[in-house]
Amino acid sequence: MTLREVLPGQFCIVRQVFANNLRKRLIDMGLITGTKIYVKKTAPLGDPMEIIVRGYSLTLRKSEASTIIVDRIDG
Amino acid sequence: MINVALIGNPNSGKTTLYNELTGSNQSVGNWPGVTVEKKTGTLRSKRIKTNIIDLPGIYSLSTISLEEEIAANYVINKKMDLIVNIVDASNLERNLFLTFQLLESDIPIIIALNAMDIVEKKKESINYNHLSKLLGVPVVPISASKKIGINRLIKTIETYDYSKKREPIKYDDDIEKIINDFDKYIKNRFVSIRFFEDGLKALDKITLAKEDLKDLLFSFYKANESFEIDFDMVLPNARYEKIIGYVNEIHKKSEIQGISDSDKIDRVLTHKIFGLPIFGAIMFLVFFLAFGPIGIFITDAFVGLINDFFNLIINGINSLGVAPYVSSLIANGVFGGLAAVVGFLPQLAILFLVLALLEDSGYMARAAFIMDRLLRRFGLSGKSFIPMLIGFGCSVPAMASTRTLDNDEDRKITTMIIPFVSCGAKAPIYGVFAGALFGPRSFIVVFSMYILGIIVAILSAVLFKKTLFKRAQANYIMELPEYRRPTLKNTMRHTWERSKDFLVKAGTVLLAAFIIIWFFSYFGFVNGQFRLLSNDEIGYSILGAIGKFILPLFKPIGFTDWQATVAILTGFIAKESVVGTLGILYGVNGNVIQNGTLLYSSIQANFTTAQAYSFMVFALLSIPCIAAVTAMKNELKSWKLFSFTLLYEIFVAYLVSFIVYRIVQVPLEDILTYLFTFTAIIFVFFMIRKIIKNKGKTCGGNCSKCGEEKRRIITQNIKYKEKNNVDKGDSNGE
Repeated sequence: MTLREVLPGQFCIVRQVFANNLRKRLIDMGLITGTKIYVKKTAPLGDPMEIIVRGYSLTLRKSEASTIIVDRIDG
Repeated sequence: MINVALIGNPNSGKTTLYNELTGSNQSVGNWPGVTVEKKTGTLRSKRIKTNIIDLPGIYSLSTISLEEEIAANYVINKKMDLIVNIVDASNLERNLFLTFQLLESDIPIIIALNAMDIVEKKKESINYNHLSKLLGVPVVPISASKKIGINRLIKTIETYDYSKKREPIKYDDDIEKIINDFDKYIKNRFVSIRFFEDGLKALDKITLAKEDLKDLLFSFYKANESFEIDFDMVLPNARYEKIIGYVNEIHKKSEIQGISDSDKIDRVLTHKIFGLPIFGAIMFLVFFLAFGPIGIFITDAFVGLINDFFNLIINGINSLGVAPYVSSLIANGVFGGLAAVVGFLPQLAILFLVLALLEDSGYMARAAFIMDRLLRRFGLSGKSFIPMLIGFGCSVPAMASTRTLDNDEDRKITTMIIPFVSCGAKAPIYGVFAGALFGPRSFIVVFSMYILGIIVAILSAVLFKKTLFKRAQANYIMELPEYRRPTLKNTMRHTWERSKDFLVKAGTVLLAAFIIIWFFSYFGFVNGQFRLLSNDEIGYSILGAIGKFILPLFKPIGFTDWQATVAILTGFIAKESVVGTLGILYGVNGNVIQNGTLLYSSIQANFTTAQAYSFMVFALLSIPCIAAVTAMKNELKSWKLFSFTLLYEIFVAYLVSFIVYRIVQVPLEDILTYLFTFTAIIFVFFMIRKIIKNKGKTCGGNCSKCGEEKRRIITQNIKYKEKNNVDKGDSNGE
């Protein structure tokens, strides 16, 4: 599944990052294969989404989130 | 002289630290073309002469925006003697990523561990001495906003031992093997590591022998195959693993993991339902504070004071019995200009203060988060909202702030549309015209100008995106910083710096503009003689001649006298001077900028409501003031795009004024008739198009959709018939 499909309040683990021109940025900000992500919320208009990764809060668009492949996990 | 660069993540407190390190010695930078990209100041130190350079924040040395590139190139090209790396202690893991990249170079480094007060507040602790041992560089715990540890940091800079070499950070053997493989050809560990992460991009600055390059690429592709995860993730992954190991050693987290204050605030401010209304309310408040009763009251009081002061001087000079042209220059030129400058300052200061509060508290980032979805439709990113909002104050800092956008195209589009956002300097124009002619409706008229500006800006953005920047894709990826309580000192400094910049700009450009206008409007040929004109002879002036000459061009948009065209002309020099020029040209006694009502009778005599509206629209949309034009050139970095934007603005201003002038002139009933006719025509047009489109297709019922429909109807009929038959049968049977 992709990060986009993970609902607020759920956890997941990064499997692969595509995200074309933002790939390098996401990697450097810590989204690497195996990294744990908590999906916190979506913006009032439904997009972008806010995730917690490595203890800080990052926001990205759903279109980008749908290029990040993840596995859902519990807690 | 030693050059010290401040390097750190965005929002790690670099600028605050910069201000603390340089004290009052900082340079006036932060103005486009001068030093938006970097600020330089002198270290507060009696022992050594040291330059402190404040650079834009970066997450890593691989950059995706222009702004970041400036900072990263500083490191890559080793332009400094010493790096002070600011690390946000409340976000160690990600901040240390950049630190590790910096440590891979051989540039001397001191780490300033910032936000220690927040760490302590959370009842956590960080063993910075141990961190210093692990990394092999001095680590100084500080709190830039609370001014803790600053002197210790200065002392560490003063006494830094440049002869001491540090051990490079070593990764696992399989990674080290690859780095060493690359280094055989590159012969620079730092560049080899950059090559590992960034590929060929890292080799821009060095030259390799052809054979070496071939061998290097071969070993690159060979290394590529030996990992499970993607090759460009290998080194970042190793780095993060090492960082986590270090962080676990030094960081003692608190046992109780409660919900942070930031989370609590965000539950309300970015709430699914309340988030938007709160955003709207905050934006309204910003606007209301600057342009509402409070802003007007402060402005009036301030300007009244200044004006009394000016009059005192003017009277004093006149009593000395100076030559008439000197007295005229001082009263009409110099003080006219100065009054315009300072008269506008209070409103701008309020606006800058509120924006500084929003920025410093962390709400600006939320604004971008909330607005992204909406702005994306127009081809912009949520971050474009911030420059556009600042654009309501002044286009110049707004354009400078477009550098916070990640994407070059976003930056250009935003810069190109900012002039349409009605800046604060245009407000007096609306104030005077609306006040003179629209009476109680003036508030709506002024508001409509702002709305019109936004609409034109948005439509232009869509147009630019669809034509000039077809291939561009707006990126959005942004960290939401924790909310911080803005400190009085920082907010005031922010406000003061921006206001001062305005004063400096206005004090030079605007004053010069006013003196030139004075010369052009008080000198001219009367009966073949070139001389100083009196107020009632202003029709003979040079400016009058230019205005009269270009007037025919403006006739179609409702300009009937040359004073209007001349005022528009001076608006290109500074929007503030439009009202002032009208005052001069209509020969109004007294200061029209202080007291707009003085102009009312002149405007009532020379403008109809339609003409006034057209004038305001043209002033709103046409080329901005010269300072904004300069800023625009700086940001667009292309003469072609720059000239296009200027031409586009003239064209749009003329077109919209023309349309508005025609529409406002027709009575309401006519407008409704036109609207009805227009809608009818469009309706008919679409009907015809639909018929034409459908005519070509003859339906044989072969396509699946049609077939399905048919089958559905047939089966329904059969069922119906069967049912009826059964019913009949039953009834027959009875």
